[in-house]
Amino acid sequence: MSNPASASTVTYSKTITVGVLLALLMIFSFTDLRHDTWLKLYEFFLWLETTPFGVIGKTWGAAFAIVEAFHLLAMALLGGAVIVSDARLLGWLFVDVPARDILDRTHKVFVIGLIVVLSTGVFMACGVAGKIYWLPVFWYKMLALATGIFFVFFIRRPLLRHPLDEIHPLVLRLIAVSSMLLWLTVAATGRWIGFAGS
Amino acid sequence: MLNELVYDFAIWLDDSAWSTLLHESYYMYNWVESIHVLTLIVCLGMLFMIDLRMLGYALPNIPASNIAQRLNAPMLVGFTVMFITGILLFYAVPVRSSQSVWFRLKMALLVACAVNAYLFHKRMNESVASWDNNAKAPKRIRMGAALSLGFWSLVVICGRFIAYDWFDCEYTDPNSFSQFLSGCIAGQTRY
Repeated sequence: MSNPASASTVTYSKTITVGVLLALLMIFSFTDLRHDTWLKLYEFFLWLETTPFGVIGKTWGAAFAIVEAFHLLAMALLGGAVIVSDARLLGWLFVDVPARDILDRTHKVFVIGLIVVLSTGVFMACGVAGKIYWLPVFWYKMLALATGIFFVFFIRRPLLRHPLDEIHPLVLRLIAVSSMLLWLTVAATGRWIGFAGS
Repeated sequence: MLNELVYDFAIWLDDSAWSTLLHESYYMYNWVESIHVLTLIVCLGMLFMIDLRMLGYALPNIPASNIAQRLNAPMLVGFTVMFITGILLFYAVPVRSSQSVWFRLKMALLVACAVNAYLFHKRMNESVASWDNNAKAPKRIRMGAALSLGFWSLVVICGRFIAYDWFDCEYTDPNSFSQFLSGCIAGQTRY
């Protein structure tokens, strides 16, 4: 049997960690720190263009386009996993199948999709680093992506490891809706980078 | 002859005011294209889950027929919106699209996808009762799922390539092989 006192301490420590991180994010966002960091990153983005990925991405259009297509296919894989697992949490799909099964199996597919999205995304970013640095929508996407990854691995997964019938149904629905909205934002801002850069 | 008919039809579409408005509207065109990509993610996301289930890689503990039936509806919703926005994207840039090698290849691949989907569902419905709970579908069904993954991946690659002007009629040599594939018209003035 687990000790209730230690369980609540663990829960509070996670809540405090999230609170501290949010506070740090607010300080970062609303002070000069954000602008200073952005300026310092310019050299890094210029360096990205000189890496092998950057050189291939800039000089060989077909390679860039193929990687772009695989980025999109991986996004579809990730999206499929997100939709199936969140629809199960919302009670829209597979209500006759234990939610735990769906959540665990789709998480594996999600992780594979995310790895391909990140690796192809890094390649693409290297090829156009000097351009995307100046696009606000690129930074919105990075923010959405970082939030999405943080949300999945530090909020959604740890929470859903608890027995699902012990979690308030409203919390489960909020988790599912937040997850869908986050990944929709990642996909939409990602597509908009192409328009903003042209 | 067929290429000229396609070209004349594309010119007729291009002359309509709505085509120009859609093409020239930065936000409307980009929104239509964004919705096309987002619904592609929904449609292909569902399709990938079905195909990967048949291949034994995703959700192997859930009956195959259950996966196929439940995910069919969201997949078709995604496909319908993707199809409508795809027509709008063609309508916005009809001449260049109809003479794009990649667009033509994409259309041929979509036909292949449709035939494969029909055969896949027919074969599955005929035999699913005997293997519904197996982690992997029989070889014929797995073949259909693998072909579906391959065809749709090529559709996405061709769709992505349409944006590039490597083989556009405007920039390639007359009488070249790419002009033949693109259906370029000798002496055409609009692209």
